Amino acid sequence: MGKYTKRFNELNSNDRPLVGGKCASLGEMVQAGLPVPDGFAVTVDAYEDYRDASDLRQELLRIVLGADAHSHASLQQAHDESVAMILGRELPLVIEQEIRSAYLTLSNETAQRRGTDDSERIPVAVRSSATDEDGDAASFAGQQETYLWVVGADDVIAKVRECWASLYTPQAIAYRSELSVADASEASKISVAVQLMATADVAGVTFTVSPRTGDRSVIAINASWGLGQSVVSGEVTPDEYWLNKLGPTLTTTRIASKAHEYVPAPGGTGVVFRDVDEARRDVACLTELEVLQLADIALRVEKHYGCPQDIEWALEHHADGTAKVMLLQSRPETNWKKRKEEKSKNTTKGTSNLLGFVAAATKGEN
Amino acid sequence: MTTTDNAVENPPAHEPAPRERSFPDPYQMETPEGAEGWEDMYAYHNRFLPTRQAEDSAKTWFRNSLHYPEVSYPFDQVTIDGAFTGTGVTNTRVFALPPAKGLDVRVINGYTYMSTIASPDAEEQARRAEEFGKRAGYYFQNWDSLYAEWEGRVTTAIRAVRDIEVPPLSEFEPIERITVDRGPSQANQLLAAYHRLLEHGDQIWTLHSEFLNLGYAAYLQFLTLCKEHFPEIDDQTISRMVSGVDVLLFRPDDELRALARKAEELGVGELVLAATTEAELLANLAGSDAGQTWLTALDESKDPWFYFSYGSGMYHSHRSWIDDLRLPIQAIGDYIHRLRSGDDLTRPIDKLQSERDELVSHYRSLLDAEDLTGFDETLALSRTVFPYVENHNFYIEHWFLTNFWNKVREFSTLFQAWGFWNDVEDIFFLRRAEVEEAIVDLQMAWSAGGNPQGGHHWPSIIKRRKEIYEALSNWNPPPALGPVPGEVNEPLTIMLWGITPETVERWLTAQDGGGSRTQLTGFAGSPGIAEGRARVVLRPDQLDTVQEGEILVSPVTSPSWTPVFGRIRASVSDIGGIMCHAAIVSREYGLPAVVGTGFGTSTIKTGQLIRVDGNAGTVTILDESTGA
Repeated sequence: MGKYTKRFNELNSNDRPLVGGKCASLGEMVQAGLPVPDGFAVTVDAYEDYRDASDLRQELLRIVLGADAHSHASLQQAHDESVAMILGRELPLVIEQEIRSAYLTLSNETAQRRGTDDSERIPVAVRSSATDEDGDAASFAGQQETYLWVVGADDVIAKVRECWASLYTPQAIAYRSELSVADASEASKISVAVQLMATADVAGVTFTVSPRTGDRSVIAINASWGLGQSVVSGEVTPDEYWLNKLGPTLTTTRIASKAHEYVPAPGGTGVVFRDVDEARRDVACLTELEVLQLADIALRVEKHYGCPQDIEWALEHHADGTAKVMLLQSRPETNWKKRKEEKSKNTTKGTSNLLGFVAAATKGEN
Repeated sequence: MTTTDNAVENPPAHEPAPRERSFPDPYQMETPEGAEGWEDMYAYHNRFLPTRQAEDSAKTWFRNSLHYPEVSYPFDQVTIDGAFTGTGVTNTRVFALPPAKGLDVRVINGYTYMSTIASPDAEEQARRAEEFGKRAGYYFQNWDSLYAEWEGRVTTAIRAVRDIEVPPLSEFEPIERITVDRGPSQANQLLAAYHRLLEHGDQIWTLHSEFLNLGYAAYLQFLTLCKEHFPEIDDQTISRMVSGVDVLLFRPDDELRALARKAEELGVGELVLAATTEAELLANLAGSDAGQTWLTALDESKDPWFYFSYGSGMYHSHRSWIDDLRLPIQAIGDYIHRLRSGDDLTRPIDKLQSERDELVSHYRSLLDAEDLTGFDETLALSRTVFPYVENHNFYIEHWFLTNFWNKVREFSTLFQAWGFWNDVEDIFFLRRAEVEEAIVDLQMAWSAGGNPQGGHHWPSIIKRRKEIYEALSNWNPPPALGPVPGEVNEPLTIMLWGITPETVERWLTAQDGGGSRTQLTGFAGSPGIAEGRARVVLRPDQLDTVQEGEILVSPVTSPSWTPVFGRIRASVSDIGGIMCHAAIVSREYGLPAVVGTGFGTSTIKTGQLIRVDGNAGTVTILDESTGA
């Protein structure tokens, strides 16, 4: 593809400066043969060239640096001005055409594969993909926007621009206004991921390390009906499946009452939040086979990255009852490192006392 | 402390004012109906003495139902006192374990309770640490050679007990008494022989404890390390990484399998199957060469492998395979049937070994590089100490004690001949000091040529004590006495007895009537889930009631029940932590087990449908009816 878009299968983790962390990670997963829904990145250059082409860069910098980080009104005004600017200026034709063409190619291929007749209207998710190494900074910098069930090239382009505009939330402006010019400029780079929507009927999150103790021999899966937002946002109490990596074997299952779910809106655009019908509410949303399938994939992801992962996935059931797992994203789970530092906390004083003496004795010290 | 003071001056009536939760005060325990006078069965040092109430009421006493689930027989108190002396001296005086000393021991209503001696203060711990380093270090560094030497010393002690000669008290001293040695008389030798028996019965516990707490401490080091790295790992996974595949406790059962195979090879399988007792075996097999060959093989297996107690070995009443061959004969028969149905009866040693290696490499692969050395070192030390931890039971509780109890019976047979009592087993209703009194009685009477007083003295006492014993056996002893402990953190107590803060809480809840009647919680002793009808077995002599496919529910199980494990679906025990025999045997035989449920035998009834979840450590009563 061109300068402004890259298909996932062209990318790997070294491409972070070009396409941001999310896209680089998705590319890496596609290349590793992991089941990731296909898509493409709108590169950092697309936004950079857009800013340069329409003199946005200096104007935006002026707004950011001129804002008073301690004044809500000032930040709000800076936000309004920036967003209006980004959404209002004309997008250079070359950039617009490349995004349009990338979307239509993806959409056509997908419709053909699925055998559907909506070849120009396949739903996708449009998400910002931050270039910053540090996730916390990225969240301050407003690089966390997500638009689901986006349909058609015009809408995709509009949402890409909204992702760009999301760099200018009041809090992101406040954050960057305190940085040097160079750092602020670096922190306002952004890429956008355009990815096929998984038409999931079950979705959730897998940790390849115990979220409760940091135990690396444990896999924890949270799952609920419908699309994944409900689990990620905490709007439902999901089913919990706990496994030991050896096997892997399922050790504990806790079935929750899952009252709500997100499903694709009937018109094909957007999602609706609705009650789960009584019959499915208290039923396990994964079979043991599916749990084991998810665990196997999670272990492959962990092995690929070499450290514990926090993985979002969705499950699409075929007509024959078999399930296809799709990975939506994977990030390193970093809390376990902190827990490891506190690991000896659970050992009682009595035990560590005795063991201190034993350790000394075994080493011939006294 | 005010409460305790008041209690001393003015014991509270039945229903005291609302107060903090606690276990029953040992001084408020009522004697079960029909057991009046039980105190006479035990020496003063085993009892709660009235003038020591302030001190003893202020302590928490845990019932030692792991080793002593049954009412103590007066003579059997020898092993209880001996065992506590052995651990005490090893911790306190031999190795100077810095943070822990031994235990105080008391008997109430026939049941054994123990309480930790207060931990040394910082200054004393520092002094002890210096000694401990030198002493334990020596053992850890020379473990294998010291263990080999220990096996020699224990075997010598076992042979010595077997070889103790109980003088026949013949009409005349042998002529050699005149012409050769002119040594002590048979009367003198009788007392000396009894003293020698007690000496061995006493010293064996020092041997028993010699490596034990060091071994447990080394294992605890690995256990703790694993739990720090893998907070959710279960104890059984850790012990599977350490445990050996050729543990002595499995050897007797292996001998039975080998005998079954041999019978088939020799073509005498049918003759073995037709026998249920040793006499029938001899009658069926002695007539042919093949039969003789098989009987020789049986004799070779017997010593030492049939010196295998049906129970823990701690009670004379448990008896051993060698005393009654019915269970081994039945088990050999079962194995013959299994051979005929195509089972080759080999234990999957290679498979167990490779599973163990796979487990270790799996957990190693999850560790960071900097943690590998520590993991490897503590695992290696655990594996060094584990043969002792796993095998000492066979030497002491099985082989030694079988010989010990049978030697006591030899003394009893002599008393029986002199009219002291009718039944050889009666001697166990006398305290050790009382047996010495009886010996002096017999010495004097035999020496003088008169009749001993024993037959006029002991029968009524023994009769009464049997009634008391029965009454005490029907009483339900509380798991603990005295105040709720501030904290339970002595690591060895937690590992061996399964006494944790959660256990204490469960006991309190059950005591206060809050426990569930349909769900019991214990330790996940061996993985798997099974459902079946319960069979409650309180004593080893009830073992033959166990039917194919039942779930064994017992206070505590014993390795010699292993052949029964071939018939059951799962096991549940009241007592035991992760290192207890039931857990080890169940894991070996792939049966789900939940150990340390506390109230299994008092909650579950024979015939009830239950579910044993050996992964979660729970037992559920599915069907209240007993299916009868």
